[in-house]
Amino acid sequence: MSMTRSELQDAAAKAFDGDLPPDAAQSWTLITDMGWLMMAVPEDQGGLGLGREAVGVIHQALGRTLVAGPTIAQMLVIEALSGTAQDELLGRAMAGEVMTASLADGLTAMPDADRASHLLFIEPERIALLPTQGRGLTARATWDKTRRLFDVDAGEQQGIVLARGEAAVALGNRLSALRSLALAADSLGGADAALRMTIDYLETRRQFGRPLALFQALKHRVADMKTALVAAEALFWARADDPDADAISMGAMKAHAAGVYRLIAEEAIQLHGGIGLTMEHPCHLFLKRATLNAALGGDADHWEEAAGRRMLAA
Amino acid sequence: MSDALDGLRQEVREWLAVHAPKDWRAHSTSEAAFLAMQRSWFATLVKGGYAMPHWPEGWPGGGRSLAEQKVIYEEFARADTPRLLLSFMSTYHAASTLFEWGSAEQQQRYIPRILEGEIWCQGFSEPGAGSDLAALRTRAERKGDVYVVNGQKLWSTMGQFADQCLLLVRTSNEGVKQAGLTYLLLDLKAPGVTARPIHQIHGDEEFAEIFLDNVEIPVANRLGEEGQGWAVAQSTLSSERGLTLLELSARMRGAMWRIADMIRTQRRADDAGILRDLGKLASKIDATCAVADQFLANRIAGLELVGDASIVKLAYSRTLRDFTALGLRIGGLDAQYHAPITFGGGMETGNWMADFMNSYAWTIAGGSDEVQRNIIAERLLGMPREPKSWTVKESAA
Ligand SMILES: Cc1cc2nc3c(=O)[nH]c(=O)nc-3n(C[C@H](O)[C@H](O)[C@H](O)COP(=O)(O)OP(=O)(O)OC[C@H]3O[C@@H](n4cnc5c(N)ncnc54)[C@H](O)[C@@H]3O)c2cc1C
Repeated sequence: MSMTRSELQDAAAKAFDGDLPPDAAQSWTLITDMGWLMMAVPEDQGGLGLGREAVGVIHQALGRTLVAGPTIAQMLVIEALSGTAQDELLGRAMAGEVMTASLADGLTAMPDADRASHLLFIEPERIALLPTQGRGLTARATWDKTRRLFDVDAGEQQGIVLARGEAAVALGNRLSALRSLALAADSLGGADAALRMTIDYLETRRQFGRPLALFQALKHRVADMKTALVAAEALFWARADDPDADAISMGAMKAHAAGVYRLIAEEAIQLHGGIGLTMEHPCHLFLKRATLNAALGGDADHWEEAAGRRMLAA
Repeated sequence: MSDALDGLRQEVREWLAVHAPKDWRAHSTSEAAFLAMQRSWFATLVKGGYAMPHWPEGWPGGGRSLAEQKVIYEEFARADTPRLLLSFMSTYHAASTLFEWGSAEQQQRYIPRILEGEIWCQGFSEPGAGSDLAALRTRAERKGDVYVVNGQKLWSTMGQFADQCLLLVRTSNEGVKQAGLTYLLLDLKAPGVTARPIHQIHGDEEFAEIFLDNVEIPVANRLGEEGQGWAVAQSTLSSERGLTLLELSARMRGAMWRIADMIRTQRRADDAGILRDLGKLASKIDATCAVADQFLANRIAGLELVGDASIVKLAYSRTLRDFTALGLRIGGLDAQYHAPITFGGGMETGNWMADFMNSYAWTIAGGSDEVQRNIIAERLLGMPREPKSWTVKESAA
């Protein structure tokens, strides 16, 4: 298991190690060429059967260099299709034909909907795949320019129903858990990169005739960030490997991971000083993606309250 | 005493009812609109005598007691008038430094032009000199009646719009770093000056980079003696604490309704978790207002200690971060959608992501939080300073 993980991690890290963020179109080609969209899909459905392990590694790698594109949404569509007999659509989605899904509720906050052939519409008792054509799209620009979100008009509801009733509830929970897992992985990858960048900066930037890294006050800040990150990563893999982890425990884990990302991105700017407040420097890209990750897929208030209530009920 | 203050309060209120710009936030969507609004509001304030209540007796609008100044700022915050961002450095930094160090001739030359709307910026920081300001390297060489200046200044707030610049330069490399500094007044229209705006992460271009290429500055434009620059710069730096923070913390308290409104609109008035954080924030803001008050009272009474101003600044900067963070949290996904900033809208505009990012201006500029903590520990509490020399070998570091 952990052998697979480190092999996967090495390959993923090599794929994206250039610009921050890399070109969106090239990234999508790379993601599909490397088969990342099919990694989590069971082998008998044409995937690689690597499950949540692969989801974790891939999204950490994408988060680390702030890769743009609809990968999280695409994986939700693929997950929804993989339990059905829609082999043809599943094949197209795994090959990189863009199909998108909401990173919030209903038909809102759908990444790259303007180039998606289909949209996943998740309702409490019904989950369907709708063709995009003919639907009104509203671009919702976010502060985070690495994501392109759209709200979509419901319009005609025809489409392919993937699940109804109890099956839809179960699939909905699975999708929610997967979305949280992917957002958490993205957050931890970004947090790790922002922390490394900050340490590098403290080691090279000199004030008062010495590298900033020599000030113990700053080393302690970095040590606190590292501790928070390592603990969040450990929680991440524990939940990813736990077959019983459901939507609430994944949601609470996502809230925790995004909180750590936000802390590290916030501190990264502070410790870079003035340069961290400029568009020229990548610090702000991490902060903007961190705050967006915290708000997508249910925020901390939502998931922490749910986790707290469940604890009382247990 | 309190009758007189009530009278002043009434007078300011009546004046504001007639003169305060209405709906200015809605119109402040472009830089051009921002500049026009700032200039016209400043001119109105000068005419009304409210632009510089902090100036000394004998100068137009000046000679107000501390208590009177507080009343004026409270009423301005209450009426939600635009803050004077464009002329902030002119009426505070430039004026205070001129009052303290300028010759009568220099004061007569520059102060009236400030009232006419001349804009100043501050050129202290450089790429290699941020927290360690004394390490600055912009070089001024005296040639007869002029200094010839070469170097680069960074992060000059409003530098791209300014007419004049408070410039700190190096005239000598002898002795301790601080001893080689000299303070000059630079006309930004002089040949050899180039100002380039820097894009900030929330979309404003509030500060600029200034390149100086063989710029000639008359020796007559020097404040203090050659080599006295560090002492003059301290006057400039201390001018922005105190009253500014009294006004800004009052403004933050006055902006709490933005969060309260959002809680009501989102029907979260029964969400105990949010209410507790709102209550906690309210206490922090009140404490910040109180500590700013106390600081000024001590200052007037001659009881100010070195490091007191750092406590006020640190309390304010951390509280402002908490304020914007709570707004951002309650704003949820909506706050993540990009909305154009309100130019000159102040620290609390309700555009939460922009406000949150803008709050770094207070944790980094004017001496970062970390630098304030050093001052509090070392100067106020008298704890030992970091050693000046360090022994780790370069290769091992
Ligand atoms: C919005 C804004 C407006 C500004 N306006 C002006 C202006 O008008 N004119 C002007 O001259 N300058 C201006 N500045 C510059 C400002 O004064 C500097 O950014 C500030 O002093 C920090 O310097 P730096 O950016 O070089 O960061 P650095 O000094 O490189 O600091 C980087 C990090 O190291 C920390 N650090 C540094 N030294 C120590 C230490 N001894 N102990 C512990 N931690 C330490 C800092 O706190 C920071 O977190 C402005 C800056 C901002 C952000």
